[in-house]
Amino acid sequence: MLKRIAIEKISQLAAVLMEKGTLLAPVKEVAGHNFVQILDSQKVDLNFYNTLMSPKSAFFPHKEDFVKYKVGKPLAEAEPVLLNCKPAFLFGVRPCDVKSFEIMDIHFNAAGIIDPYWRARREATTIFGYAYDISQPVDSADFYNTLGINAADPEGSDIFMVKKDKELLLKTITPKGEKLLAELSALDKVSTADEKYFEEYIKKGKEYKTRFNCVDSEVVAKKLESIFDNTDFWTKMSAVCLSCGICTFVCPTCYCFDICDDNMFGKGTRSRVWDACMFTDFTLEASGHNPRTQVYQRLRQKVCHKYSYHIRKYGVISCVGCGRCTRQCPVNIDIYSIIEAALKA
Amino acid sequence: MTDFKKIEEKLKTEAKRLLESGEVTVVLCYGKGFDESHPMPYAAKAVADVDNIVFNEYCNYNMARYLVRYPQGTKIAIAVKAADSRAVIVLIQEEKVKRENLVILGIPVQGMKNPKTGEVIDSKTTCGMNNPVLFDILLGEEVHGPKVASPYDVLAEYEKMDKDVRWEFWVKELDKCIRCYACRKACPMCYCDPCFIDQSKPKWADKAPQSAGNMMYHLTRFHHLAGRCIDCGECSRACPVDIPLYLFHKKVAKDCEEMFNQQAGMSMDDKLVLVNFRVEDSDKILE
Repeated sequence: MLKRIAIEKISQLAAVLMEKGTLLAPVKEVAGHNFVQILDSQKVDLNFYNTLMSPKSAFFPHKEDFVKYKVGKPLAEAEPVLLNCKPAFLFGVRPCDVKSFEIMDIHFNAAGIIDPYWRARREATTIFGYAYDISQPVDSADFYNTLGINAADPEGSDIFMVKKDKELLLKTITPKGEKLLAELSALDKVSTADEKYFEEYIKKGKEYKTRFNCVDSEVVAKKLESIFDNTDFWTKMSAVCLSCGICTFVCPTCYCFDICDDNMFGKGTRSRVWDACMFTDFTLEASGHNPRTQVYQRLRQKVCHKYSYHIRKYGVISCVGCGRCTRQCPVNIDIYSIIEAALKA
Repeated sequence: MTDFKKIEEKLKTEAKRLLESGEVTVVLCYGKGFDESHPMPYAAKAVADVDNIVFNEYCNYNMARYLVRYPQGTKIAIAVKAADSRAVIVLIQEEKVKRENLVILGIPVQGMKNPKTGEVIDSKTTCGMNNPVLFDILLGEEVHGPKVASPYDVLAEYEKMDKDVRWEFWVKELDKCIRCYACRKACPMCYCDPCFIDQSKPKWADKAPQSAGNMMYHLTRFHHLAGRCIDCGECSRACPVDIPLYLFHKKVAKDCEEMFNQQAGMSMDDKLVLVNFRVEDSDKILE
């Protein structure tokens, strides 16, 4: 099913979705756009390239409370924090970010233990993918082509949207999307020209080029394994890395977390909070020993985890080439350039 | 206007000479990034590295940040712009580096730009100075022009706020913080190992980016930098969520100047205000 709506009427669509559940959509904030729960339908703003933070927090929030308890009381009195999942709509997700959910599913919804929080949110959410505007130049930090993703890739979305001048075309991809779109009264019917435009756009999306590195995941995994001990290489790559956590926090596929107890005046909360392998205390052990005290060890871990260990374990690269880490890095370290250099090392 | 190409050439020549003669083992400067508007900080360690050196309007990094990474005694050449040279002075005063181990390559410059926004970096977010305070070799002509605006002008609005409004302002701004710690990592004066916020015994604040912990982290960091911040603006540029950290640092710097008649890193002869007791010092701080 294909429908359309004028972009200036987007707040009407937002209002309808807000009645049905929780709407998460891009909103312009001081430093850039971010996915935010919409409380005022006028705030939805599709005039963005990509969001500053990735949309992973829709399913995996920065902080997630698990249990509330009282210090010194029996375990039975502790109260689990129940997840009250209303239907949710994640609106305007770029194709590379949609792809990231599939990678994150491996960790939270497939391999071994299933994370009930991730799964519940994921099932309750309908994803509105949104093609990059192929009439605009590509950002120099992006490299999603390298990971086999293109600018107008509908795969993974429930509903996929493309921009046509001042209008938005919405196409259903999954039965979930089909069901939802049929219920949305705010949308208009399309013409055959619109249908043709949509198909053309998807085709043209494949020709819209980001930076491209011919990465064979097996080759890169093997190469990184072979240079693990090449301290000179990693020291050079990390010579100016500040070892802050920006790259991992903005990354759509970084999923490391810490379980924290926060208690004051006898009342406590146990929660899950994002952690970053770039932090010194990430690997600090209870004994006081820290196996990764050097910046090069931490940067090597980040790069090798994404481009080597993850391939070995799950068969896919844990990166979607969205370019956020490169764009936000205070010293312009570029993971794509590190892979390029590694292949030559 | 600054001739960036000319400075780049001089930087390359000096780096080559210093590395070739063995006078230094590393030259802290600026290098090629993934494209022209995204240069990187760079540590040139061999003559072959010199080709990678660049200097353009986006090279706003404060290389003094990297000085403490090298073992004491390492001979280092460092490229500094105005604020960066002030950072070097403070690091020398705090005995993190020795003057005799440094070759300071001064870069007088005007019109640096923030690569994220393209805005010209001026006295709004930095000290706004053009000429390095301390250097051994100057890589360009000193900038003499109309007097730069006071770095404290930007505080006009901020100072109009009363105590409660100011508190609300910071609560709102610091609520944005995602606790990536880029501000402290980009800061040349933040070299504590471990930083108080990383300690687990005692744990000073929780890890989650929530109001109370964010306040604890930032207010402590602000005060740890009192009388030491040299107003390079790196923390604010590094911040992914654009918290105007410079406002607090500038306010404290202004207070220090008014009370102790001294700016951090402006003279090798000064002692840092908070480690120096003089009988005639202002008591305003106790009021």
